[in-house]
Amino acid sequence: MITRIVGMAYLGLLVLATGCDGWKTPSEPPASIDAELRQSLGRWGTVPIGPTPTQAPALVDLGQALMFDKVLSGNRDIACATCHNPVSHAGDGLALSIGTGGSGLGPSRTLGPGRQFIPRNAPTLLNTGLNNPYLFWDGRVSGFGFGGGGPFQTPAGAALPSGLPTLLAAQAMFPVMNREEMRGVPGDHDRFGNVNELAAFGDSDFVGLWQAVMRRLLAIPEYVSKFNAAFPGTPTSALGFQHAATAIAAFETQALTKTNSPFDRYLQHDDAAMTTEQKRGALLFFGDKTRCASCHGGPLLGGQNFANAGVPQLGPGVGSGTPLDLGRGELFNQQEFYKFAFRATPLRNVELTAPYMHDGAFSDLDAVLKHYNDVPTALREYDASQLPPALQQTYHGEDATITAVLANLDGRLAQPLHLTEVEIGELVAFLKSLTDPSARDLTSLIPARVPSGLPVQE
Amino acid sequence: MTRRVVSLCFVFLAVAGIAAAQTIPIQTVPLVPADQFDIFPSYTLAMGGVSIAVPDTLYDPFLNPATGARHRAARFFSAPTFYSVSRNAGGGRTLPLGAFGSIGTWFGGLALALQQVDASRSPAPFPPSPLPLAGGSSVAPGPANLGPAPDTHGNALAFAMIGKTLPGSGLSLGGSVSWAKLRALDGVDLLYPGSARVTQFGETVDARLGLLKEWEGDRSFEAIVLHERFRMTHDVTFLDTFWNPGTQQFFQSARLERNRDFSKRWGVQVKYERPLAASGWRIGWLATANRMSQPNTPNTDALNIPQDPGRANAYELGVGVSRTYGPAVFGMDVVYQPIWSTTWAEASTPTTTSGGGLIPLGGRTIENGFHFSNALFRMGFSHELVRSVSKTAALQLGLAVRSVHYSLAQRDFVEVATRRLEQSWLEWTPTWGLSLRFPELELRYRGRVTHGTDRLVATPNQFIGIADARPLGIFPPSSLPPTLDGVHVITHQFSVSLPLR
Repeated sequence: MITRIVGMAYLGLLVLATGCDGWKTPSEPPASIDAELRQSLGRWGTVPIGPTPTQAPALVDLGQALMFDKVLSGNRDIACATCHNPVSHAGDGLALSIGTGGSGLGPSRTLGPGRQFIPRNAPTLLNTGLNNPYLFWDGRVSGFGFGGGGPFQTPAGAALPSGLPTLLAAQAMFPVMNREEMRGVPGDHDRFGNVNELAAFGDSDFVGLWQAVMRRLLAIPEYVSKFNAAFPGTPTSALGFQHAATAIAAFETQALTKTNSPFDRYLQHDDAAMTTEQKRGALLFFGDKTRCASCHGGPLLGGQNFANAGVPQLGPGVGSGTPLDLGRGELFNQQEFYKFAFRATPLRNVELTAPYMHDGAFSDLDAVLKHYNDVPTALREYDASQLPPALQQTYHGEDATITAVLANLDGRLAQPLHLTEVEIGELVAFLKSLTDPSARDLTSLIPARVPSGLPVQE
Repeated sequence: MTRRVVSLCFVFLAVAGIAAAQTIPIQTVPLVPADQFDIFPSYTLAMGGVSIAVPDTLYDPFLNPATGARHRAARFFSAPTFYSVSRNAGGGRTLPLGAFGSIGTWFGGLALALQQVDASRSPAPFPPSPLPLAGGSSVAPGPANLGPAPDTHGNALAFAMIGKTLPGSGLSLGGSVSWAKLRALDGVDLLYPGSARVTQFGETVDARLGLLKEWEGDRSFEAIVLHERFRMTHDVTFLDTFWNPGTQQFFQSARLERNRDFSKRWGVQVKYERPLAASGWRIGWLATANRMSQPNTPNTDALNIPQDPGRANAYELGVGVSRTYGPAVFGMDVVYQPIWSTTWAEASTPTTTSGGGLIPLGGRTIENGFHFSNALFRMGFSHELVRSVSKTAALQLGLAVRSVHYSLAQRDFVEVATRRLEQSWLEWTPTWGLSLRFPELELRYRGRVTHGTDRLVATPNQFIGIADARPLGIFPPSSLPPTLDGVHVITHQFSVSLPLR
């Protein structure tokens, strides 16, 4: 009898067991900040950056000389390093840059008579050697080889010489072409009173201009030696400006790649590299509340896409959009999709590269984050008095402009983020964790002299 | 199927004991405890594992070496055991061989086992297939010298026991040592989602002293003192993805991370058993205490386990009854397990708290206080279907239900916050068995299936296409937080036992 009862009870329990999962809904479990952050990083493909290829010393030496030599400019008064100066962390510290004709260096640089601001901020050259897929604020030099010009797409199209090894080298071909930046305008005379022969070339005569710049360089025996050392297999007669650009890019890659920030060490599994506040900021940055990483994600923390971030319009404007700057929209015939869209810059060392955005509208990271916190409101309430006096009059704060910018605002920024002051502080702390300590002082990169004998730092 | 995200602090992950009784399991997530070390022959494991009031002369000596005195004759045994986790999530097989014997008042036993454990990771390849970055970049091939991980690993286990009966006193004393050289603990590879290879090595030693006192009238008292040391090392190889700026490709580089899982346990158990006045009924009580310390726990992203120490005090109070009625035996156990456990994380660098304070190096950043109220119900019966001089055939059925409930109070000294968590689950284990006894040998089969447990599953993430980015940016996929997927474990054991003379 007892076995029968037990048997029945057993079978009943067995039936119950097979249909029962036995779960209760768990409440919210605590998670470690590192585990949560690493999952977020993985979600956005933010992985460590490996070493950059070692550059040949002779190539770097030549590139350094070219970077600091004003002989590349039409008026012999401005070098690449004038706007990308080591003292200002390979930028110039200005909201909008000042090109040929200007005087001084860094934030104290002033416009020359009759000159105007360059329409856009001079981006830092730090980490440009990491092979960003787009260069310039509007991405007009890119690593996508459609449209002619070999593996790169550039304004020169098919005129771009072959043999450029990297996109950065291709980019280095163009500042010498820009009249406001380096070339000057017809009628200009150089610092010695000579006619600026580079200004005479047509704006589409890329080949002629590049050849003219090379004639200047190869007229200096020291440059001939340096070119021959850097390109030992190339006869002097075959040297072109692409070789100069290659050397400049090699110098940038060798000297200005700075990827040993606390965040980089954290990416390489050093949990102690970042402070808790920085990690909280990183969680916000890579999290759903801000989705900063949707533009500034990937290994480079940006540089891969474009967005209209509702940045106040400053400056003289660009092209057909003048006096406004339509950004990538100007490049694509004012196509609505790209209007006011600019490259989302890679963010490593961003702490050092103020002012921010394509026109330097914000002087510090706190101001940038407050702008992102509520873009429509921030744009309407932008206070131009924070700008240097010379720029205040170039602010386009009229309703029509603001309405036009907001009409095409990136959808991710249309609604306020509702960040608290504490959260903004944490985001700033995270952004400061992107600073490689060795990028704080780059003055050792400044050469004592350059082959042309022109002054280096004036 | 239940599917949940795992993001718990967790203590005392998995401590393998060759003989599991008297060691109280402590788990904060229902990871399937695959029956890897449930390898020795038993009379009662097919009856739901009832043990308090039902003696098991085959299995008891592995738990209390003094009970080896109950072996009246020398016997050889073997018990090929196979287990598998559903959904192709793991499995293993073990072949133990052993013998019990006695000379005069001395008795002893020896057993050896070889075990093969299958890799339990998901068959899906990981890291996932390369995907292009904007600009046509892709993932370069991984290190060529990292060959495929082996599918199986082997363990070796040994057990030795010796004891003596003190004539005329009804008292027996015994001691045993279990030792296992381990290269594979089931499920450990799943603790490292995203890893390319997990190499385990280590050992566990379990030493026991037992006492058995038997009185007239079939009353008995048992006492056990045990010490267990468990030392495992996990060499985990990850293939980290890097961005190579030169080639504009993602590339992978091997990174070795060494994790240690060390623990020590002391335990005592006392057990008393006697017949009841009513015919055929017996009753037993037991009380167990364990003190466990874990100076190292494996540091795994899967469970957010800090690689920091913990300790626990676990207790067990149980009562069991049984009744023998002709050819049938019925048994039932009820066990209550209160457990208190504390784990903590220590600051590896001076850490600033959200309140502005500073936690010095080595100071506690998090403290977890767990309180468990676990319960165990076991019931089962055995019925002899055929009984004759030449053979006996018996059928056994049983059911074990384990209820786990705990509350966690977590103090986060960095965030200056307190969190609370309540968690509970049930595990159901039906068992069954069949035995055939002949004068010259004994054949047994037993099976069990455990429901209500989970296995970690790391799911590769889908790549993120930024639809509203300009142009489309595509990042390589990573893994989603691991989830717990419901599985069941089936164990089959065939055992043979025969007298040596």
